[in-house]
Amino acid sequence: MPDILVQYEAEIWLSIGETFIMVGASIGAAILLGLPVGTLLFLCRKGEVIENRLVFTVLNLLVNIIRSFPFLLLVVFLIPFTRLIIGTAIGTTAAIVPLSIIAIAHYSRLVEQSLLDVPKGVMEAAISMGASVKEIVFKFLYVETRSGLVLGLTTSIISFISYSTIMGVVGGGGIGDFAIRYGYQQFKTDLMIYMIIIMIILVQLIQFTGTTIARIIDKR
Amino acid sequence: MIKLVNVSKSFSQFKVIKSVSLTIDKGEVHGIIGASGAGKSTLLRLVNLLELPDQGEVEVNGQKLTNLSSKELRRARKSIGMIFQHFNLLANKTVYENVAVSLELANYPKKERRDRIIECLQFVGLKDLIKQYPAQLSGGQKQRVAIARALANNPQVLLCDEPTSSLDPNISAEILGVLENINKVLGVTIVIVSHEMEVIKSICNRVTVMANGEIYDTVSTEPIGIHHIDKSPSYFVEQLAKAGEMDDA
Repeated sequence: MPDILVQYEAEIWLSIGETFIMVGASIGAAILLGLPVGTLLFLCRKGEVIENRLVFTVLNLLVNIIRSFPFLLLVVFLIPFTRLIIGTAIGTTAAIVPLSIIAIAHYSRLVEQSLLDVPKGVMEAAISMGASVKEIVFKFLYVETRSGLVLGLTTSIISFISYSTIMGVVGGGGIGDFAIRYGYQQFKTDLMIYMIIIMIILVQLIQFTGTTIARIIDKR
Repeated sequence: MIKLVNVSKSFSQFKVIKSVSLTIDKGEVHGIIGASGAGKSTLLRLVNLLELPDQGEVEVNGQKLTNLSSKELRRARKSIGMIFQHFNLLANKTVYENVAVSLELANYPKKERRDRIIECLQFVGLKDLIKQYPAQLSGGQKQRVAIARALANNPQVLLCDEPTSSLDPNISAEILGVLENINKVLGVTIVIVSHEMEVIKSICNRVTVMANGEIYDTVSTEPIGIHHIDKSPSYFVEQLAKAGEMDDA
């Protein structure tokens, strides 16, 4: 192993850990809240089972607004909100707040798009069989669109990694922050390059895993 | 028994169904035929309220569906089976699982599900394909799965929206044979929408002819039997020859 990596081993592991915490929390938020929000966006559309113009318009606008912020500005803009719910706006835990918010907005849009691909006829069959809204979602929509949901989540996770590199501005740490502070600001270009290589490997692994799972569960 | 009373339906100003009344008796095989845009599919979809009527009443199996709460309507729909031109199966579920879904929705006793599914698949002649996914099946086989799914909950009525329109004539005849059996053996009332006269002629007791959103006429017919549908290659040759003559004329 190159000397410089040995020298900074402890810090590197720490920053990798921080990245995992931040990205992990983002994934949690995406699944627990982004998936329902995306599903609601789809179900409230015109002509869908619980068509509701008000809910659709509000959610749609909210998702668009969050996604139109340059992420760095969103983080700064949310500082008072973060302080309100975490007690501080600084550190890895605090970084989870803006990351989760962008994660929900990001994944919900991808979920909505996947659900739009479910053939109309499948929805009709579900309704004609007397399925409730909950049954339509869990027994029909999520079954038919499961590979799209996995691919969407894969794309989202890779974006979350990218978003997490910005969290250095609020002391969130992570691989990106380490690469900037040690590699760029202290002119250790080789260290920065090693960090980029770690990120590339990470993204490759995630994409490969996502694509493989999506292929296996897709029977269409 | 199915009873539509003065039912109307519009899609953005355009009147698709204009105050139609129709009674279909229990045990009947009733055909609805007409040109594209005559409103025949919409009329069928009004029977299980897949389309909500703007006016009028819909009654099925003695229940006024138009008066039911959404929960009661869902329960009523479980005894009204429906099959479609494009089958509408779940592509990510096996043949077995596709039939199972309809039993799950109806809270069918768990222990008896397996037997019931096998029984239904046997009835449509698909017992050996239970582990296949729809993508591995032919059109005719997919429609059989859809029929098994619709039958699983012992419906009193089976609605068929162009059930054979995307199938070859010989496969069509097989599917019509299955439907005929369902009517004769299980006593299920069947309503078939089709634009193919042969489909209607072969199994229907009564036929409603639709034009411009209204019933032009309802006539009793003697079903001539599915054997009457010509499956031989010469059928196609004749059809081609006819088309040729028309071009010449």
